[in-house]
Amino acid sequence: MMIESLPLFPVYVVDFIGALLMVIFSLIAFFYARRLTILQPKSVLWTYMFWFSMALVALAVSRGVGHTVRFVLLYHGMPGLWKAIAPFSGGLNTITFTSVAVLTFYYSNVRDVIDRVKNDAEALYEANVRLQNAQEALRRLNQNLEQMVEERTRELRQSEKKFRGLFEGSKDMIFFCNSDHLIEDINPSAVELLGFKSREEVIGRPFKDFFKDEKQWEMFKKELCEKGHIKDIEAELVRPDGSTRHVILTISEMKDENGNIRGCEGIGKDITKMKQVTESLIQSEKMASVGQLAAGVAHEINTPLGIILGYAQLLEEECEDNKDALESLKIIEKQTKICKRIVGDLLKFSRSSSDSQITDVDVNECVNEVLAVTEHSLNMDRIYINKNLAESLPHIKAKKEKLRQVIINLLNNAHHAIEHDGIIGIWTEYDEEKDEIRIIIGDTGEGIPPEIQGKIFDPFFTTKSVGKGTGLGLSVSFGIIKDHGGYIEAQSPPKEKRFVNAGMETVMIIHLPVHQENLEDEQ
Amino acid sequence: MKRPVRPSTLVLGLTLFFVLAPSVAKAVQVHGPPEGFVVHMMGHIFFTSALLFLIYILHKYPIDNRPAWKYFKISVFFWLIWNLDTFLVHILSVRLPKEAIITGSHLIYSKLKGPFDIERLLFYFGKFDHFLCVPAMYCLAMSLKDFCKRVEEQLETVGSDEHVI
Repeated sequence: MMIESLPLFPVYVVDFIGALLMVIFSLIAFFYARRLTILQPKSVLWTYMFWFSMALVALAVSRGVGHTVRFVLLYHGMPGLWKAIAPFSGGLNTITFTSVAVLTFYYSNVRDVIDRVKNDAEALYEANVRLQNAQEALRRLNQNLEQMVEERTRELRQSEKKFRGLFEGSKDMIFFCNSDHLIEDINPSAVELLGFKSREEVIGRPFKDFFKDEKQWEMFKKELCEKGHIKDIEAELVRPDGSTRHVILTISEMKDENGNIRGCEGIGKDITKMKQVTESLIQSEKMASVGQLAAGVAHEINTPLGIILGYAQLLEEECEDNKDALESLKIIEKQTKICKRIVGDLLKFSRSSSDSQITDVDVNECVNEVLAVTEHSLNMDRIYINKNLAESLPHIKAKKEKLRQVIINLLNNAHHAIEHDGIIGIWTEYDEEKDEIRIIIGDTGEGIPPEIQGKIFDPFFTTKSVGKGTGLGLSVSFGIIKDHGGYIEAQSPPKEKRFVNAGMETVMIIHLPVHQENLEDEQ
Repeated sequence: MKRPVRPSTLVLGLTLFFVLAPSVAKAVQVHGPPEGFVVHMMGHIFFTSALLFLIYILHKYPIDNRPAWKYFKISVFFWLIWNLDTFLVHILSVRLPKEAIITGSHLIYSKLKGPFDIERLLFYFGKFDHFLCVPAMYCLAMSLKDFCKRVEEQLETVGSDEHVI
């Protein structure tokens, strides 16, 4: 069966209800889209959704209103009016879904741009993260570096302290010079060695000024330039008071990082005392060898001299009438006796410890005994004694006769040095620290010239005229004191001010140990 | 060799031509009755292409399968179908003869006259387009509702600067 027509009323009803539902749903959609833009106003998607919904609301409203109006107008039989309104409704619809289309295309482009911006932002964020990581690493490195620097500084400080301690506390001379050989820094021991009170007095002085012999400095400098160092070279340095110090110098050049000479650094060891001891030892050895020689010679000569003396005396008896011959024989006898005395002295020098008894000796008493004998003759030449004896000296074990002989010898030498009109000073003292007694005999004579100071203890060395002295007095005295474990020191001029103030030009100092075991063993 | 005409020379020449040889102004054009229909149809085509483009974008850059985006995709699909339907109905209504619609004395008596070939049947059933656009709008509303819910949940936990999408 063929259907002739279909009713349009269902279409209108669906349109009417559908249009109402469209408006309701579009308003719900618009509500949520609006809420999204409020919740996240920066979101491009929600902005798109908002305008998408807005356009669809417009479409729904336009169509809904259009369909409702059409339904109402057609229902009331006014199709003409609907025909007039319909184009507006259609045009509005066109605008709405065109807008939706535009928004969709626009959103896509915006989204691309957003994606690119987002990618850039992510890249920027990653770069920022990397930068932060790098900064963190740098900070840690910096912190580590600070710790390292602090640690190294501490080590350096400790090292500096250690070397500073070595520099300041060293008993040897340590010094630094610049390229002009001016002293840049010097340790306290060196300041003391060079005879200054403070470091500031020495710094800036030319090093060569301290050399006694300028030629020696030139030689040092030349060797330093050629080899870059000098090692264990002995030098004699002069102090401001004119005294000298013997030092062993080791000097090295200092160079900067470019190899240019920056200056020099050196160490000096004071060997003055060692040198004195060495010289004393040499002297002792010399004396010992001369003593042995003298003993041999004296023994051999003594017998012929005795025979010559005996025969001379016999001839004197026989030639009593011959005055000329007798006079000649007297001269022979006299000279032979002189020879015998010299030989006797030599024998005493060589065997000085052999013929005397060791007893407890009061040194002051010994000095007084000698002075009792000699003072009168000294006074004859207007030489007076300035006696300063210590009150309580310990007794020493010594050969009293020998000790007297030494004091007499030294007084004789002082007498000879003064000749007349002067003072001989005598001091005795006890040094508890060294446990020794010192007998000091000084005179106001002319002093001992420096050039002969090293020879005065040599046998047969004398400044007296021929016949007046044998040159054995000091040698014999030296030997006696040596046998007692002591030594004799000559100072001209004296080192101590009290002697200088007393007007002494020369002092002879006898050092005698209070306890001398070897002397008793020898006995 | 012939030198090419510069664009600036061409523009200057044309300007001089219009200034020196004036004629009747062509700026304001009269738009006749079929233009509205054509524009409306072009709007549908434009809308369709935009929806197709949106489907392509959603397919190419999938985000997630949670209800919000599912509703949105369904909505877009319904809008596309609705668009095609209305486009077809518009074309068919033009092709439909005037006497095919019997208005009668009242709206409830309006009828579509046969014989019912495929065009007339498509026209008749195509007129029920609200069966397509109402679900489309409903799905869009549900999609936005779910988006809203997600954003609110998110804001409670991560803060306003973090975006869900």
